[in-house]
Amino acid sequence: MKFNRRNFLKAGAVMAGYAVLGFNVTKEAVAAAMEFVAQRQQSVYAADANPKIYKLRKSQDNPMVKKIYDHKDGFLHEGPCGHESHHLLHTHYVDRSKKLEALKAKGVELAL
Amino acid sequence: MLEIEGISYQSNAPKGVDPDEIFFVQVDADKCEGCGECNSACPTGAIQPINDDDIHGVIDTAACVNCGQCLANCPVGAIYEGVSYVDELFEKLKDPNTVVVSMPAPAVRYGLGECFGAPTGTYVGGKMHAALRKLGFDYIWDTEYAADVTIMEEGTELLTRVKEGGKGKHPLPQFTSCCPGWIKFVESYYPDLLPNLSTCKSPVAMLGTLAKTYGAKETKTDAKKIYTVSIMPCVAKKYEGLRPEMNQSGHRDIDATINTRELAYMIKKAGIEFNGLKDENPDPVLGESTGAATIFGTSGGVMEAALRLAYEELSNTKLANPDIKVVRAHEGIKTADVEVPNFGTVKIAVASGLQNAAKLCDEVRAGKSPYHFIEIMTCPGGCVNGGGQPLDPEIQASRFRSTVAKINRRFRTRKPTA
Repeated sequence: MKFNRRNFLKAGAVMAGYAVLGFNVTKEAVAAAMEFVAQRQQSVYAADANPKIYKLRKSQDNPMVKKIYDHKDGFLHEGPCGHESHHLLHTHYVDRSKKLEALKAKGVELAL
Repeated sequence: MLEIEGISYQSNAPKGVDPDEIFFVQVDADKCEGCGECNSACPTGAIQPINDDDIHGVIDTAACVNCGQCLANCPVGAIYEGVSYVDELFEKLKDPNTVVVSMPAPAVRYGLGECFGAPTGTYVGGKMHAALRKLGFDYIWDTEYAADVTIMEEGTELLTRVKEGGKGKHPLPQFTSCCPGWIKFVESYYPDLLPNLSTCKSPVAMLGTLAKTYGAKETKTDAKKIYTVSIMPCVAKKYEGLRPEMNQSGHRDIDATINTRELAYMIKKAGIEFNGLKDENPDPVLGESTGAATIFGTSGGVMEAALRLAYEELSNTKLANPDIKVVRAHEGIKTADVEVPNFGTVKIAVASGLQNAAKLCDEVRAGKSPYHFIEIMTCPGGCVNGGGQPLDPEIQASRFRSTVAKINRRFRTRKPTA
């Protein structure tokens, strides 16, 4: 974890908590304020494992996926990475490094 | 300027504009206090001090990958978004000749509830579908369906690369291609690694093009009338939607892009009582999804979803327990050897944060990368922590404090000083 201003304030707040409230109360407060990203991530995995939200857990089992790839009359009947898939669902990329080099040549310093 | 969930937005729906010319995020110099939080959140150094007072700014659009982490971490609310389709979208929803189609990303349903007072991370997928219907969307299609399709395409591509031994035009490791910040990063900073990127479009780009071809056919709708709305936890998706090559359906594949905060604003503005809504399902053909699709919202999720396919394809056996917990990543770089029966070892790496991605890229560049498949997400923790999501409660609190401080300051300066 980086030692920036926010983390410094956080550490300060936790220490103040110990001083004022004592060990147990502060520990609970810290656990409750567990990092919000982890809370959102846990919620994602809980939904994935909850059959009331997602009956199926593998893409290849999705009936609408089976339908679109159906060998007989599916819209993408050649299967994944077939001709039509390549036309519609795949793409190409562009080298954008020139502008960046020009920027660096002007003396702009970047992190990478 | 629109004030949306604590962030300012310019009402601006660009059409036919080169997205490389647009500042998707920019600093309001009057509000910036020069603290440098944006700088430490920025993976590329695109945002930096522009004068002696330490006022910050995005130095050039070429250096910025549009991830919006600067904006999400600014403790004084000085960073605004330069593109918002909200006003145009309200017009389209009213227009009887336009068939408006929703395309919400997986992570949106884990953040949206927070704008209506729910605890951090609450799943509100059913309410979200209901709200979209109430807002007047004609078809509730879902990017999660396209995430399942992405797994089929990207998984098949990976299996082909592995079978060919990574020779020729399709080298190993294969990098994921769902994250638009990461794509612009490779294009700008590591163009020599472009052949390693999966050629698959991101799920929403796949859904955009499917909506105007397959979806138009299934619903007997004139594709010209369809207006596709990408709803994302992300700022960089606004750039992706404007890429000139995203027109494989014969039309613009993605007509508008909004993020989670803007959807919350629209629901509030339309007077919809979000918390009282009953759960609803999306429209099936391009809406039904699986657990493999929803985990795209978190770092390691694309990898896990792909392995659920690759395991069964390579081993010719059923995967009894779909949980592949070794790939679940919170921060830093996670690597694992996944043993697949009848095949051998699949070597994988998962990274979120572009500083971590750069380490893996340097390894590939040096020819020292042992992996088959690498997942990269720009935002630490993945899309649930995207630049378009509701703000971290800690940041919200610091904005509240800074607003109070500003009001106090104004109050003091109004007092006669003599």
